[in-house]
Amino acid sequence: MSTHKITLTLNGERIEAEVPANRLLSDFLRDDLALTGTKRGCETGVCGACSVLVDGDVVKSCLSLAVQMNGRNLTTVEGLGKVGALHPLQQSFMENGGLQCGYCTPGFLMAAADLLARNPSPDDAEIREGLSGNLCRCTGYQGIVDAIRATAEAGHGA
Amino acid sequence: MHEFEFLEPETLEQALALLAEHDDDACVFAGGTALLLAMRQRMMVPGVVVSLARVGSLHGISYDPATGLRIGALSRHDDVARSPLVREHYPMLAAMAAGLANPQVRNQATIGGNLCYADPATDPPTCLIAMGAEVTLAGPDGERRLPMRDFCVDFFTTALEPGEILTEIRLPAPRAGTVGLYRRHLRTAAEHRPVANVALTALQQGTGWTDVRLVIGAATPSPQTMTRAAEALTGQTITLALAEKVAALVAEDLDAISDSRGDAAFRRQVVRAATRRIVAEAAGLDWKEHAA
Repeated sequence: MSTHKITLTLNGERIEAEVPANRLLSDFLRDDLALTGTKRGCETGVCGACSVLVDGDVVKSCLSLAVQMNGRNLTTVEGLGKVGALHPLQQSFMENGGLQCGYCTPGFLMAAADLLARNPSPDDAEIREGLSGNLCRCTGYQGIVDAIRATAEAGHGA
Repeated sequence: MHEFEFLEPETLEQALALLAEHDDDACVFAGGTALLLAMRQRMMVPGVVVSLARVGSLHGISYDPATGLRIGALSRHDDVARSPLVREHYPMLAAMAAGLANPQVRNQATIGGNLCYADPATDPPTCLIAMGAEVTLAGPDGERRLPMRDFCVDFFTTALEPGEILTEIRLPAPRAGTVGLYRRHLRTAAEHRPVANVALTALQQGTGWTDVRLVIGAATPSPQTMTRAAEALTGQTITLALAEKVAALVAEDLDAISDSRGDAAFRRQVVRAATRRIVAEAAGLDWKEHAA
């Protein structure tokens, strides 16, 4: 099997790595780089828990190979905000009850970040469409929609 | 996932040479969203994966008022949805691409990959056939062009020959008076894949239509062009009664599939309703009304 030297920007930092061809991006992030904020849920492209941003666009890391990331700019939930310096979306998810167990939350945050970057003031239908690639089995989604709407209304959309 | 070689040619010639060299053991990789699932479920076990991502000539969308639209096969669905050229000249196509699957898939999956995979439960082929699209296929002996409706052969089957690569999708320049709508129907709002879809294009001539194309997909092994329905719609004033009559013809002619997401009878019902609605909507009628 081929192995590949890849260079990418990950959460603002340039990194180099060597990966086998069949390494999934989700496994590369979690198992090789210990960035366990990105979750593995269904691992079949349905649940969206593994969502990350590639060149600013949200994608599912379980449907991507690490080797595809050569030369790309990646953001995981670890790059979105940190304890003490949360991203406005993270703060708003807390304030609006946008999570219960929290397992799906990193994926929702990445999908929401992409949504607001494209559309800083989405209506509720647009928010729901923007979340259509993510599943949450606890919240019933209303808190998540509220959190994203509140973030947009506070002017943190872009 | 099984072990494989991942190759990244930078030109179409290199890609074709790699396919020729590795023959049956090679598989073309575009966005990867469908292929990786198939590989992880061991439905496909290629020893060599040829990624087309670095082949520059397969990217990009361009428009010429005389020759129409050219979409590079490696364009992502989001590229199609957001292209100012597509949005201005082919709003039916832009709306289809913007509503397909979910944001993550639109950001990664490509239109060429979608067409070559030929999964019936998808959106682009139905829409593109109704719009009169053609595809360009490159092979060891040069290029050939096929109408989209001849490219879609059957369930997970296209006209692509071994060693060929789909390079671009072409659409004719839009004509004045073009009517065009695409609608998809899901089993539940949470699903990403249609159980049925319908596309309608026509030219408005007075109070009626000419050049009518009505295509049904997702409910059939591959998109089905409904010729009896198109004839019935040609040159007539479109009324709700006519929409109902045409919907009945389509339901009768439908080569419906049965699977875990819906049996043939269910799909026939959905298609009948979908056809009635799209005909009414394209004619500016309210499909919620019923003919007296």
